[in-house]
Amino acid sequence: MKLKKMLFAAVSAGAMMLANPSFAATELSVQRFFGACDADFGTNTDPTKAVGECGIITSLINKFNADNPDVHVNVTTVEWPGYDQLTAQFASGDAPDIVTIHESVLSDYQSKGLLMPLDDLLKSVGVTPDAFTDAARNGATKDSKIYGLPIDSWTMLYHVNMDLFKQAGLVSADGTPIFPKSPEELLAQAEQFKQKTGKPYFVQNLTNETALYTRNLYTYLFQQDSDFFADPKHVKLNTPEAKKVVEMYKAIFEKGYTTKDLDYGGSINAFLAGEGGVHLNGTWVVGDYNAQSETKGTALNKGGYAVYPYPQLFGGTHAQYADGHTWAVSQKDRTPEQIAAIGKFLKFFADNDFEWSRTGHLPAYKAVITSDAFKALPHRNTISAVADLGKPLPSAVQRQFAIQDIIGEEMSAAISGQKDVDTALADMESRVNELLANI
Amino acid sequence: MVDRLAMSPTATLAVGARTPTADIYAPQWRNFIFVAPFLFFFTTLLLFPLLWGMWLSFHKADTFSSGNFVGFGNYVRLYHDKVFLQSIWNTFYFVLLTVPTLALIGLFLALCLNRRTRTAAVLRTLFFSSSVLSVTIVTLIWRIVFIPNVGLLSTIYGWFGATAPAFISDPNLAMVGIAIATIWWCIGLPMMLFLSALQQIPQDIYEAAALDNANRWQTLRSITLPSIKRTFILVIIIQIVLQFQLFGQAWLMTRGGPNNLTKPIVLYIYDTAFRRWDLGLGAAASEILFILILIAAMAQYLVTRSRGDQA
Repeated sequence: MKLKKMLFAAVSAGAMMLANPSFAATELSVQRFFGACDADFGTNTDPTKAVGECGIITSLINKFNADNPDVHVNVTTVEWPGYDQLTAQFASGDAPDIVTIHESVLSDYQSKGLLMPLDDLLKSVGVTPDAFTDAARNGATKDSKIYGLPIDSWTMLYHVNMDLFKQAGLVSADGTPIFPKSPEELLAQAEQFKQKTGKPYFVQNLTNETALYTRNLYTYLFQQDSDFFADPKHVKLNTPEAKKVVEMYKAIFEKGYTTKDLDYGGSINAFLAGEGGVHLNGTWVVGDYNAQSETKGTALNKGGYAVYPYPQLFGGTHAQYADGHTWAVSQKDRTPEQIAAIGKFLKFFADNDFEWSRTGHLPAYKAVITSDAFKALPHRNTISAVADLGKPLPSAVQRQFAIQDIIGEEMSAAISGQKDVDTALADMESRVNELLANI
Repeated sequence: MVDRLAMSPTATLAVGARTPTADIYAPQWRNFIFVAPFLFFFTTLLLFPLLWGMWLSFHKADTFSSGNFVGFGNYVRLYHDKVFLQSIWNTFYFVLLTVPTLALIGLFLALCLNRRTRTAAVLRTLFFSSSVLSVTIVTLIWRIVFIPNVGLLSTIYGWFGATAPAFISDPNLAMVGIAIATIWWCIGLPMMLFLSALQQIPQDIYEAAALDNANRWQTLRSITLPSIKRTFILVIIIQIVLQFQLFGQAWLMTRGGPNNLTKPIVLYIYDTAFRRWDLGLGAAASEILFILILIAAMAQYLVTRSRGDQA
């Protein structure tokens, strides 16, 4: 009799589990860039022990899975930036639930109705847009609605090898690097650097690259108050301001003040091996470079590593190009459980933005950027300024990654001497306008 | 299929005289069942996309919507697009760099390795082995060779205190770099085709030549090369059609740079349709590529037909 009762109880419990889907974990598909590092962090659930973009994001998602047994996140890692794949996924109706999208790209997908507005969902989990920094809120807002949970603001920076700067006599009495205040001063300091160290002032990835060129141009156009995208459908790049910037980079290239044939990976290796003074790279490497500088025997450990915003070289407003990363949610029919799971995931990242800010990116939340913990992180005293300096393109400008490719291609041609500067600027302008006119 | 249907009246008569119900060649609707699977895939995977592509090329369409009819607007845009014209030239330049080289090196290797020794067998396998690799692996290998500062080429040049040529970033060398990787990758097929042609030349012709005291050069010029002429043309045409479709190597090694100098037509199509979402323009460029490949295929048909007539 007892046995019979136990059997009934077991069968009933089993039937209930089968009947009630809440016992099964809700599956969420998450797609992201930031690289793959499962060998190092695949099982780590403690984000505080991770370094770098890849390590921290992998550990954060691991922690989310561990903390939320009712939700299971399946991660697909794509090569940066992954938009070709995402576009194909959207076109075939197979988009991931949650996906990393740059603020500058949100409007491409949002304008096609492919992304879910997140205002209500975020409100339901206690995340309100007034908690975001101004830059993050503006970047994630399209047509007065939030279309991505901002996780950071990023920009390009001057990563400095202090040992070589000391050798070049470019360090002031208080130990800070001396930066130029005009294009002429930049060329003079680069020459001095080359004479004293025998190495180029800049480490740049100029091969297989378009983004770096474009971000440099945007920054120095902002610094000249050039309103080149006054009309989001029509760019003005064949201007004296743009010419000044391209000619400056052309002089840097021709006079050997930069590394020349390196791709992105090669430029990182070159900087870490001490082959140049200033690496033009983003906020995302601050954590990694700082870790290198603390490792004995490395080029950055020799005389130290410093990192600063781009110097102000022109007479306009102090500004530099900035963008940000967000988690966007694809538009599709979902069960209340799935929507709740997405809400949990977004809330988790909002709550853990400090861990993400250890990468070097600037936090997307006021509470984090003003916190003592963030300020105590290395180099944040010098780079926090970009929270105010950072300036994106107007959010109504579509196809910003395609525009970036066109500008980068033409700048590369002008700088390396394949085209004269005027022709390159004219081609750049007409190609971008042709693209925008046909959206 | 066409031949069989054409035969059917005669067959009906011949068979009908004996057993009137056993006409297997008579046109019957149930026979459609046998070709239906093929027709289904042919229509859905080939014919429909082909016609849809043509339709798209006359529309202003993006990845998520097909917009207004623009007539030949997309073709006019292509005509004025310097990058597209550059990509056509790049494709022809790449074909010019690779096809003759593949044919000549393939022939040379086949002549050297056309013997029954173990070394020749090992070398044949070795030269063919690169063909089994995927484009990703091939470009990875050649990037490791070409990459500045730490690459194999840089290391070797470094031993002599010289700077290695920048095969990935130099505007004059980037396409040559892609061509080198492609030749290394594709050399197996021409070599094998030439080997099989060489082995079909009757041995007695060589014996007759030897009796006539012909030297090796005379034998090569008067017997070997004329005998494999048709294979030579076949190799050239196959390689033209293959190399016209260059995509993976250029995308993975140079991303089409520097300044679009290594951007082939297929990469232009990919860039336009999937990265800029300008599907109409991408479809129009695809139609141009279709016409170019059609011309190559027609040339192949005409050449092989006229050869066949002569034979």
